Amino acid sequence: MRRFQSLIAPVIVLALWEATADAGLLPDYLVAPSKIAAVFTRMVMTGELWPHLLGSLKRAYGGFALGLLFGMTFGLLAGASRAVGNFYDPLISLTYPVPKIAILPILMVWFGLGDVSKIAVIMTSVFFPVFINAYAGARGVNKIFIWSAQSMGASPLTVFWRVVLPAAMPHILAGARNGLALSFIVLFASELVGAKAGLGYLIGVAEDSGRFDLMYVAIIAIGLAGFVSDRILIRVRRWLLAGQTLGRQEFGV
Amino acid sequence: MSNVLRSVARWYSLPVVLAAWELMAHSGMISHRLMPDLWTIASAFWAALIQGDVIYHASFSVWRGLVGFGLAAIAGVALGAAMARSRWFEAIFEPVFSFGYPIPKIALFPIFIFIFGLGHMSKIALVFLESLYPITVGTYYGIKSVERIYIWNAQAMGAKPRQIFFRVLIPASLPYIASGLRIAVHVALIVVIILEMIGDSTGLGYFVVYAGASYEYARSFAGILAIVIVGFTIDRVAVALRNRLVFWQREIALR
Repeated sequence: MRRFQSLIAPVIVLALWEATADAGLLPDYLVAPSKIAAVFTRMVMTGELWPHLLGSLKRAYGGFALGLLFGMTFGLLAGASRAVGNFYDPLISLTYPVPKIAILPILMVWFGLGDVSKIAVIMTSVFFPVFINAYAGARGVNKIFIWSAQSMGASPLTVFWRVVLPAAMPHILAGARNGLALSFIVLFASELVGAKAGLGYLIGVAEDSGRFDLMYVAIIAIGLAGFVSDRILIRVRRWLLAGQTLGRQEFGV
Repeated sequence: MSNVLRSVARWYSLPVVLAAWELMAHSGMISHRLMPDLWTIASAFWAALIQGDVIYHASFSVWRGLVGFGLAAIAGVALGAAMARSRWFEAIFEPVFSFGYPIPKIALFPIFIFIFGLGHMSKIALVFLESLYPITVGTYYGIKSVERIYIWNAQAMGAKPRQIFFRVLIPASLPYIASGLRIAVHVALIVVIILEMIGDSTGLGYFVVYAGASYEYARSFAGILAIVIVGFTIDRVAVALRNRLVFWQREIALR
């Protein structure tokens, strides 16, 4: 019943859109859903869409993975050790609220128009939310857990791997989810500013040449890519946090 | 003495990183044009400030960001509260928000340009849409998590629905709403800068791209510096407001 109810709004919107578009009441740029679907399936069948999709995913996932790796490593170290924390604290608190996309023009000059500059800007954008959350997670570990591990003779490395990391995991994953959403936003922007392939590029080209059906296909593809990636991350989180009770009350889980 | 030492231990990394930048810039490994030294960047910033360029473009960015964010704050809290309190609203809108949350709404920008034009409206509308999601979701979960007993207590003492809403539900869910708002502030800034980069001739995002496109990289860095200042200031104001509003629970954040 709930599933049925949840379909009411989208179905009504789509039906109205289709009816008014078929009747010729809508401007050119609002293409009928049936036509978009037809072009979409055609592009999937002929394989026209795949190079763009794969190009975009390579950038988004590459940047996301690197940002996650660095953010997690440095965030945990900064949270676990006072000295490392002191080094990062002022730098991060100064640059955290800044939209990292601002450095894109500079990165494009430094690394060229290819994949490297895009992966670099996505990596930077993902780094910060992951770092902040890993840092807070590692600092928030109940001291008693650490003390008990130490009194039972655990080495600092064991404490880190078996106590700090698992306790900080829910936070890290929450940061990773924010970072993933950001990486697709930044991906779109970086591909629109300068690229030779990718979904953002496809949107730009289709818009410039008045191919609105193509534009919608690319928009839907980038939306689907973001959505599916988020679902995969939620799956990974459920698997990683199996048996843990912390951090499960978040949206969509 | 120990105070001095402590603040040195706390802040030493800033001068270290700036010095490393200066060394790199002077080492000649990277062209001075591509990586200007700090003095060149500072004087480019000063020049743009004196000419009024920075203030002019910054005012556009801030204005668009704050209007879109402000509208989203009002609509998001109202919508989130309605979703949490009414089964009808929940059935219709909850899927829209849970499925739409991870989708990059910014990809709709070309369509927004056609609908709202190239001016302020399309940018404000997209900032509104992107900030609406975290605020609505935060409010929804905040109000959902309010203890039933508080509501029953208020009802038993004869509170009207309006009083329950403003005196019980909103204060009790304020920490959740505040964290949604903080995420939304960041998102709003990011979206504004991106939109100015890809489709405008005003705003700090445009300023940075335009300077880069005309090979004036020192000016580009000056624009980035302006974005740093704006973003940092807005974040500090947001945290200060939040700590005043939710005074019983401090923001656990960096200093």
